Amino acid sequence: MQGWAGNILDINLTSGQIETVPLDRDMARLFLGGRGLGARLLWDLVGPEVEPLSPENVLIFTTGPITASASQTSNRFNVSTKSPLTGTILHANSGGWWGMQFKRTGYDALIVRGKAASPVMIEITPAGVAIKDAAHLWGKGVFETTVALEQNRNKRNVLCIGPAGENRVRIAAIMNDKERSLARGGAGAVMGSKNLKAIVVEGLEKNKPADPDQFKFMLYETGKLLKASPLTSQALPEFGTAVVMNVVNEIGALPTRNFQQSQFEGADKISGEEITDTILVKNQACWACPITCTRITQTKSGKEGEGPEFESAWAFGAQCGIDDLDAITEANYQCNDLGLDTISMGNTIGCAMELAERGLLANDLGFGRADRLPGLIHDTAFRQGIGDDLAEGSYRLASKHGAPELSMSVKKLELPAYDPRGMQGQGLVFATGNRGACHETGNMLGPEVLALPRLIDRFATQGKAGIVSVHQNSAAVIDSLVYCKFANMAVAEEFFARTLTAVTGEHFTADDLMMVGERVWTLERLYNLREGFSKEDDTLPARLLHEPVPAGPSEGFTVKLAPMLEEYYAFRGWDKNGVPKPEKLKELSLEFVMEVVHD
Amino acid sequence: MKVKLFGNLRQKAGESEFVAPGATIREALESLCADNEPLRTAIFAGAELQPHVRVMVNGRDCELANGLATAVSPQDTIAIFPPIAGG
Repeated sequence: MQGWAGNILDINLTSGQIETVPLDRDMARLFLGGRGLGARLLWDLVGPEVEPLSPENVLIFTTGPITASASQTSNRFNVSTKSPLTGTILHANSGGWWGMQFKRTGYDALIVRGKAASPVMIEITPAGVAIKDAAHLWGKGVFETTVALEQNRNKRNVLCIGPAGENRVRIAAIMNDKERSLARGGAGAVMGSKNLKAIVVEGLEKNKPADPDQFKFMLYETGKLLKASPLTSQALPEFGTAVVMNVVNEIGALPTRNFQQSQFEGADKISGEEITDTILVKNQACWACPITCTRITQTKSGKEGEGPEFESAWAFGAQCGIDDLDAITEANYQCNDLGLDTISMGNTIGCAMELAERGLLANDLGFGRADRLPGLIHDTAFRQGIGDDLAEGSYRLASKHGAPELSMSVKKLELPAYDPRGMQGQGLVFATGNRGACHETGNMLGPEVLALPRLIDRFATQGKAGIVSVHQNSAAVIDSLVYCKFANMAVAEEFFARTLTAVTGEHFTADDLMMVGERVWTLERLYNLREGFSKEDDTLPARLLHEPVPAGPSEGFTVKLAPMLEEYYAFRGWDKNGVPKPEKLKELSLEFVMEVVHD
Repeated sequence: MKVKLFGNLRQKAGESEFVAPGATIREALESLCADNEPLRTAIFAGAELQPHVRVMVNGRDCELANGLATAVSPQDTIAIFPPIAGG
């Protein structure tokens, strides 16, 4: 293969049918792979009439044209589906080794349809594709399942769900290579609803570049840039992602106790610096990645595992008023084993803590109760007691107890570790996120805090729309190639384009890639519009719009969303209701949606 | 005023917090780096800050004020970040 294998594996778990269909090359050129290809296929396969946890929903696992090429960070892959948490389009991506190995089986994508009559797994090896009984694995955690299925890092890789997915917990993750995750939006619940426990891959094919000399040159040049950047060669390897805990706290944008405050007195105790000083065992890298940002850690009790990343440390830390790093780290391990999204889990627990402290939830839960984390996480995965409510996510939890406004979520996806009252552009990112409140789809941490590439005033609102849009488009194409966004901290889109050209033999420029990104973003938007979402859903929790930050460097601020949103729609070529105009659809080669959107 | 250090600056300085004199950020940083060449090299490139080093006063990046010439008072808190990334 040169970039694209040209094949899609299509499996129907209801009928047991397994077939290979050709990849539409025109579609591939327009959407590349990963998130883009996933969105395009989902548009055709899953319409508004489909319930997310019904057999009619699909899971689409996609790689990109550079996956398994050995270009730096070319290990990532994507899953696309309709989210059972939000009802929006869902994409999630993960690193590790599974994506590389799946590509080596000779497929660009795997579509899983229907529902098996009893628990099954899918095995894709040089011997063929098989649907096998997995009743003996059902109920087991991710770690035990991964071992049982003989995970062998570079040769045989396991993707699976834990009890959370089996129990259709709306915030369940799909895990791969033991502790990597397709975390947000509940894809794990969709997999569980299909009685699909695991997908195991072993491959032999190689993604050989069409122009080996140019590819080698780009490998060398990209490597030089990654090594020269202090971000990718020092900061991330030395301290991991949680090194931003202190800077986000320092500026007064670290959400604390369910976003009631924006600075946490215990931030340093749960920071990247503290992780490095106390619990770090070693770094680990995903396949073909020189950045090595993964933390392998060990707590005082002797438990060892991956993480916590920044978001996880925040979610069980500041969000819950907890500064016990060991407790936070073990909560992270537990979520990995049960197959849960740590951001949604921690955010939802924080919501429950506030509900309890306000007397709206009959429970002795309160902020700072680190001792309650293991039980709450367990009960969520198994839908027991209050866990059955937590399993529904913060919005449904808070609504059930009479206070939906206490859910810090957008489109029902829980907010991550940034208080947008201290970062106005981040507020626009969250409000317009196609999968809900998501930092991965256009994080403004760079420009608003770290001066990457340049510093802009985090409290300003005018002009944010253009920067947010560009960031969103860039993230979308990176997710479609599929590269790691950390590589983008040192390597510009121009380099990605030249590497893609070398791998596929088809000419791409940086402008082409940004067009792909805008196309993907817009199609996701259209998908949600078709589902019934509207500009009313491009909003933020009332707390962030109307309650000023009480203290700290962001004191007095709320998010001034309306003017940013108006500017955003205009910049994107959408009408005042946030609907992409016909001329924009033509520009992006999205004419096929015209009838649906502009009848 | 209080000066807080983060990331690998802590190892270079030997501490995470200091009290430093100075009427401007530059004066405070110069005071901090006196007799500590590794720390100076980590923070400064000549007379300016190293790329990606951020300096904040009371949570506000000094680039949006008067840069290293930003006036500071004893009640202020300066925070210095080496190149960091994540999220």
